[in-house]
Amino acid sequence: MSAALPRVLRTSSFRLTLLYAGLFGCSALILVGVIYGWTGMYMASSLDTAIDSDITELEDSLRAGGHEALTAQVKERLQETPNGPMFILLQDPEGKVIAGNIPPSHGGEGRFDLKVPRINSPSVAIHAHGITLPDGEYLMVGVDALPRRAMHKLIVRVFGWSSAITLVLAFASGALMSAGLLRRIETISRTARDIMAGDFSRRIPVRGTADEFDHLIASLNAMLERNESAMESVRQVSNDIAHDLRTPLTRLRQRLELAQRRARSAEEWQRVSDGCISDMDAILETFGALLRIAQIESGIPARRFAKVDLSELLRTMIEIYQPMAEENQQRFTADIASGLTVWGDRELLAQMVANVIENAMKHSPAGASIGLMTIQSPTAIAVTVIDSGPGIPAADRGRVFRRFYRLESSRSKPGSGLGLSLVEAIAALHRVSIDLTDNSPGLRFTLRFFSSDQRTLAGDRLAQHQTHVVSMTIQRWHSRLWAKRRGAGRESAATKGTASGRD
Amino acid sequence: MKILLVEDDGENADYVANGLREEGHLVAQVASGAEGLIRAVGDSFDLLIVDRMIPGLDGLNLVKSLRAAGHHTPVLFLTALDGVEDRVLGLNAGGDDYLVKPFAFSELVARVAALGRRPRTTAAETRLILLDLEIDPLSRTVRRRGQLIELQPREYRLLEYLMRHAGQVVTRTMLLEHVWDIHFDPRSNIVETHISRLRSKVDKGFEAQLIHTVRGAGYCVRSPA
Repeated sequence: MSAALPRVLRTSSFRLTLLYAGLFGCSALILVGVIYGWTGMYMASSLDTAIDSDITELEDSLRAGGHEALTAQVKERLQETPNGPMFILLQDPEGKVIAGNIPPSHGGEGRFDLKVPRINSPSVAIHAHGITLPDGEYLMVGVDALPRRAMHKLIVRVFGWSSAITLVLAFASGALMSAGLLRRIETISRTARDIMAGDFSRRIPVRGTADEFDHLIASLNAMLERNESAMESVRQVSNDIAHDLRTPLTRLRQRLELAQRRARSAEEWQRVSDGCISDMDAILETFGALLRIAQIESGIPARRFAKVDLSELLRTMIEIYQPMAEENQQRFTADIASGLTVWGDRELLAQMVANVIENAMKHSPAGASIGLMTIQSPTAIAVTVIDSGPGIPAADRGRVFRRFYRLESSRSKPGSGLGLSLVEAIAALHRVSIDLTDNSPGLRFTLRFFSSDQRTLAGDRLAQHQTHVVSMTIQRWHSRLWAKRRGAGRESAATKGTASGRD
Repeated sequence: MKILLVEDDGENADYVANGLREEGHLVAQVASGAEGLIRAVGDSFDLLIVDRMIPGLDGLNLVKSLRAAGHHTPVLFLTALDGVEDRVLGLNAGGDDYLVKPFAFSELVARVAALGRRPRTTAAETRLILLDLEIDPLSRTVRRRGQLIELQPREYRLLEYLMRHAGQVVTRTMLLEHVWDIHFDPRSNIVETHISRLRSKVDKGFEAQLIHTVRGAGYCVRSPA
């Protein structure tokens, strides 16, 4: 604790507490000043009343019995209180003391305070009133001002104690509060350090009090969640690259080594380099698809989303794929409602639909029929692609979206095993739900755009910065592969038609 | 064609420059953005090939500065950035075309040729004529030997694009981009299918075949040699 104490004292909450204690002290001081003044005035006026009634009484006896009566009255009084608290002084016009328990004075008229020395006891402060009587004699009556002094002393003592207690309490509560806040902040910063040390699954514990700290922690945890999934997606890509690109790269290398040992003629070399370039294109295509999935999964900025004319997009798809179906001797029918719009990225949505259609066409035999239709309900727009091919067994339906997953039955067909992974990633980005059902025979592939999600997307303008960082990292590997490909390409005069890294 | 290549990766720059020289172009090479801008402003080139990521002034800003200075030399961006957004940024900055690394060299050659022809085709051309094939872009009608050929709208766009680049090789990706506005690579051979349908409408029954497949590169509309 001794090490933590200076930190506690340095916290902003502690300083704030001290500031408040100081402010409280100042206001208390003003209050005490006012009370001090007012009680003083009140005490003085009550002393005055007592003095005045005495003076009136003495004047009365002067008026009634003359000089002798007054002197007797004064002497009688003095007998009762020779040493206070009442003090009286009666002087003749020459200033000689006639009677009194106060030393002679040139005493003025009116009210004043006076210090009176006493025999065998300390001098006393009195509050007095002096008047000149009609016959020229001077009369002064005073009262010990002790009650006023005592009251003032009491006030000062009460204030002193209460201020001390307040300050101690403020100090203690400030320290306690700061220690509490410090503990919560320490939890956050410890979690941050753990995460930096590599434990990405760590989250900051919430206390459940729904206070401002819980609110902040919930936001931080959501951010950590997002970052972790973005990192996970990068990790996934590197794993995929390690596992699934190594095989074709090995094959490519073997092919070149074999040619190096065996190829005799220029034609043979030409054939090998053609083969290598097409191998390389396939690898780059896979790589490009992985890159794109990673980009999409880590979240393309939703601010790029715009209203997309889904009907027009689907019609374009039909226009593109109809002739292909005819060539495959498949029947392609369509039933598209007009005026359907959704929020999204047109290019990605086009690719999603294209992949689903291509999937249906690729896995359906000649003579099969393929259909693309839309069904609009109040809650959702459903885009359904049906085929009359072999379908997907119910047990495998969840697995077809995995990267590089290919059904046993379709391993002989060309394809990277990434088409549906890409569909799933694009769908997730657009909050489109995917539903695979039996079309008996064949597969019914439904993409549902729920209107509630569409409203959210329309209002969603979250900028997601990490997308760019992720893609930049991956593109560095991309460039390295490019360097290899360039080497292979130079050997060949006839290069292949496409750069497949595009998609 | 006189081409300025702005690319900092020496090996890649030499590869591209030498390849283009073999194609008969004059190629000047610079390795930095600032140098590129000075050369592009000071000398008259027919085409700039600019890498997006170059030291100093990057490709995007180079082209922005160039356009701001009132130069309209066509620009082809080369880049390893292939996000959709990157392409849009490149074109918005004033680039005319965008090619993502790695690319097939034939793709680069085709796009360079297409950009070189650009200014002439933007002029109002009332008719595109090749041998006995005639296209009227205003009424969107196609005639061969005076005989009207019925084409679907997309087939017409495909043919018009090929005709505007008659004599040049047009790649599959160029067709996907310009005819279908598709910027990803569909697995299936949709371009091949559509070309073969177009061929059956335009070339079938005529002695002179006009739509040619260039092996490993793309397609070309030209008179038979």
